[in-house]
Order: sequence, then C-alpha cells, then structure tokens
Amino acid sequence: MKESVEAVCSAVVDLDIDAILDLVNACLEEGVLPLEIVEHGFSKGLAVVGERFETGEYFLADLIMAGEVVKEAMPLLEAKMNPGDAARRGKVILATVEGDIHEIGKNIVAFILSANGYEVIDLGVDVPASRIIDTALATGARLVGLSALLSTMVGSIRNVVDSASAAGLRDSLRVVIGGACTSEELKKEMGADAYGETAIDALRIFNTYSEADNHVR
Amino acid sequence: MNPTERIIRTLEGSPVDRVPTFCAGIEDRTYNEVLGKPLIPNQLLMNNPIAEGLFDRWGPKLTRYLFQPNVTLTMEKRIKAAAVLGFDATWGVYDETFIVLDSKTMARFSGSIFNLEPDGFGNMTYMYRCPGITTREEFEAWPHWPDSDDIAHRTYTFYRKMISRYGEKICLLAQGSAYGIQESMQWALGFERVPLWIRREKDLIDRYIAMGEELCMKTAIALIDAGVRVILQPDDFAFKSGPFMRPKQIDELFGPSYRRIINAVHACGAKFVLHSCGDNTLLFDTFISWGVDGLHAYEPTSNVDIYREKKLHGDRVTIMGGVGIDYLLTERSQDDEVVAEVKKLIRELGPGGRFMIGPAHSISSIPANKLRVMLEAARTFGSYPIAVS
Repeated sequence: MKESVEAVCSAVVDLDIDAILDLVNACLEEGVLPLEIVEHGFSKGLAVVGERFETGEYFLADLIMAGEVVKEAMPLLEAKMNPGDAARRGKVILATVEGDIHEIGKNIVAFILSANGYEVIDLGVDVPASRIIDTALATGARLVGLSALLSTMVGSIRNVVDSASAAGLRDSLRVVIGGACTSEELKKEMGADAYGETAIDALRIFNTYSEADNHVR
Repeated sequence: MNPTERIIRTLEGSPVDRVPTFCAGIEDRTYNEVLGKPLIPNQLLMNNPIAEGLFDRWGPKLTRYLFQPNVTLTMEKRIKAAAVLGFDATWGVYDETFIVLDSKTMARFSGSIFNLEPDGFGNMTYMYRCPGITTREEFEAWPHWPDSDDIAHRTYTFYRKMISRYGEKICLLAQGSAYGIQESMQWALGFERVPLWIRREKDLIDRYIAMGEELCMKTAIALIDAGVRVILQPDDFAFKSGPFMRPKQIDELFGPSYRRIINAVHACGAKFVLHSCGDNTLLFDTFISWGVDGLHAYEPTSNVDIYREKKLHGDRVTIMGGVGIDYLLTERSQDDEVVAEVKKLIRELGPGGRFMIGPAHSISSIPANKLRVMLEAARTFGSYPIAVS
C-alpha cells in the first residue's frame, strides 16, 4: 500500500480530523484512485478503530470521532467517484420500533454504517412495521436494523418479522435487532436474524450479510 | 436509630443496626398504587382538547402556572409513597427543568427536546427526542437558560416543605432542579455531535460545563440550607456497552467540576451520592477519586458485577441498589425469587457495611407489592451482624 494511503489510514485510527483533508488531497495528487483511498485508507482505519473498541482501548466517542474524520474528507472523494461507488456495501433500513422513540443508539449505528460505505435509509423513531416493509419493497433494501429500548415495545419487533413474512420477504430480508432491552434470547423469541450488542457488532453483522449477498450475486 | 442516622452512618462506613433500604424514585403507576389513584388521572389533565389547545398556543407562558404545579405535586407523591412504604431513604427530585413548547413537546432549560406522552398507566411521562442545540448560533440563541439563583431558591422552598413533612420518616437523598452536567450536555448537543464539539468547539463545551457546575453547585447548597443531609446527583456516564468517553477524558472534562461540588457539599457537612446508569465498571475509580460517598445503579442488565465491586471498592464507597428491575421487580417474578435475591445481596454485600439495598433503577412499571416483598425481606434478613445462610 502506498505511504500516502497508509497515512490516511493512520489519521483515521488516530482520530486526527485536522490532518485528514491534507492527507487525502496528497493521495489524489499522487494519482491514487478515490475507491482505493476509501478501501485502504478509510475502511482499514475504521476496522482498526472497531477492533480497538472491542478490546476496550477505544470508546463510543472514539468510534463516532473516527466516523467524523471520514465524513470530513468524504465529499472530496465523492466528487471524483463514479456513481454507485459510495454505497458499495448496500442499503440498510434503520428504525426504532413502533411505540419507542429512543434514537441515540440507532443514530450511532447509522453513523458507523454510513462511514463504512452503506447507504442508510433512516426511518426515524416509532416506525410501524408496514412502513419498514413498504420501504424494503420500494428501495430493494434487504438489510433491516431495529432498535428498541423499552421492554414494553419488543412485540413491535415480532410485527416486523411477521409483516416481512406476509409480504413474501422473510427469506431475503435480514432483521438485526439492538438496543437496551434486546438480547440474544429476545432475538430468538421474536424470530429476528441477529442481535448486536454494540454499534460495531451491528457493523460486523451487516458486513457478513452484505458479503454473503454480494457473493451470491 | 432513625432512617437519616442509618443512612448517614452507612455513607460514612460506620456501624448501623441493619442494612438500610433505598428507593430510586417511585414513579406514577407505583405511587398511585400506594397512595390511591387521583380523581382526575394525570394524563387527562394534559390530554384533553382544551389543555392541548392552550399548550399548543401558549405552552411556554403556561408552563409555570398549569404544568409545573402538577410536576411538583408528582415529586411530592414520590417521596410520600416511599415514606408510606417504609423505605429508609428515597431519591427526591425537584424538577423545574421543563418548558412546555406545545401539547406534545417539552424543552429542558439545559438545551434538549423531549416528547410529552402517556406512560400507559394513565399518567404523562416524557421521552428524549433530540438535541435543541446543533450549532454555535443555536447555542448562543438558546432562549431557556435558567437563572440559577431563582432555581436554587425554589429548590430550597420545595425541600423545606418536604423535610418538615417527611424528614422524620425518611431520609431524602435529594436532587435539586439540575440534572448531571455531562448527561445534560449530551442531551442538549446530541450524542453523535459531542465528540466533534469537544475537538472543534471546546470553548462552548467549557462554557456549558461551567453553567452546569454553577447550577448543580447552587442547588446543592440550597438543598443543604433546606435541611437535606444527602445530595443525590444523577449523571449517566455510561451505556450498556461501557463509558461513552475514555475515563481519562471524562475525568479531565467533568472531574474538576464534580470535585468542587463534592468538596462544597462535604464542607457543609453533607454527603454526596452519584447515580450513573450503564456499565460504569471502568469509571468507579474515577468517581471515587472525585470524593463521592455513595454510588447508585450497578445495573445487572449492563453487566455490572456488584459483588466484584464490593470486593474492589466496598471499603471506600457505599454501594446502593442491587435488585433488578428487568425481571425481579416486575409482575413476571415470584415473591420467593425476590426474597432469595434480597438474601443473597445481604449475605454477600452486607458484611462490613457500606451497602444500601434497593431497586437498581426507577421504572414506571414496578408493582408496589414487589417493593413490599423486597422491603419485608430486607428487614427480616438485614440485621447486623448478618446471619443469612
């Protein structure tokens, strides 16, 4: 890997938002392709940040800051990228389930997914199952992240799973749950596909699904 | 030994007659079970066409006259219900932080926006919606910053009444009209934006922290002037996955303010308890270094190992809580299970003192009978020396 791209990766890992624009510009001046900067600079850097979060060296604020570093330079690259490159990992629908209006966790996941190349369709909070399924049908998105904080609203997760079945989407739609009241047990109880305890868990799960889907294609 | 003596001695680490009981804020559904339901449900007062029309049109102007009296009454009912149930201590709150913007929306004077909505049990409650301040311009223009002297004065007036009415029956662990410096900042600026603001708008962050410190300091001193012996300050520093920021960063940003507040509280002869939700395992040393006398939450659902904490810190800080609200203190549990958990907590955490038993958190769906079972078991098995097999 070129030294200049390695420097971009290091800036993401070091959360150095003040240096990132100059480093990305240096790469472009050297003739490095935008997608290469994204893959080997941003994505690799974010992966290291994610690892450090999992080992306890980094914290949630660091994850967010790494995303900010990427966001700072992304417009520079987007202007030079081919259409379709930006959302190369696919579309993810995110929503806080019906009856629940907590959105902090969902927003953090949205932020991390966007920074990692997903096109995030954020439907907001208190979202009925029908709207999630309609959006999946309209956009072709097959990855869904549901957030729930209130234990009284977990039934809304089941509604989404059942609505997906009724719409004939259950086999192709991946439903991932997260939030304070969720757990591996709840995932099984509600018939969801995966449970992510942290934003990085969510990213890993969606990456696995995205890679599997791309492989199938 | 009266409840206040029992609580103060426990916070000091001095011997007491039994493990004290503590309640973290009895919410509407529970206090209605204890005190009896009001003739007009709280929800109906806000959720009717006339009230909605009035609040939609003149919300901010009507807050003090139509909304605040109901909130203040609610705060008193929480304290009264805890006293009636027989707790040694309860988390008392005087909350004048809200401004009604319309029938569905409230702002906190510290910069955040909340939904006003029914709690499912006939009462109104609130849920965080979004930050109210997203730019430097909005920070400068925020119209609701309070006069901290006014707030401190009204906090004093409220607690003078509470101490005279309930002070002999229950020890008030009191919070004035001030939420945590850090959590208020997160709500006001948005969790996703705070890391960038710390880097790029540090002067605003410093000003926000200074304003929060002033409010917490003035209300704490007002509480002590009113006769309160223990200050309880909530400030949620962690999520289920751990601290939001690096512990060192938390200490650098908020430690100086909290050290000054706690020093002032101690200088007035009072005690200081910090409530922080989430997995604070990496932060307990930091909190103790600030000088806290007691810590509350130790949420089992956030992977906090209260037994490990007792071994690590039990000689330096009083551990409060322990009884889970996700299952044990709900209708789904059996009374025997509650009793078994209370016995286990007392057996493991009671020896050596510095432990108060109670719910790990407040929640609107705790049935009163489960609290009674918990209290009865704590009284039965909590006498010193601990002799629970």
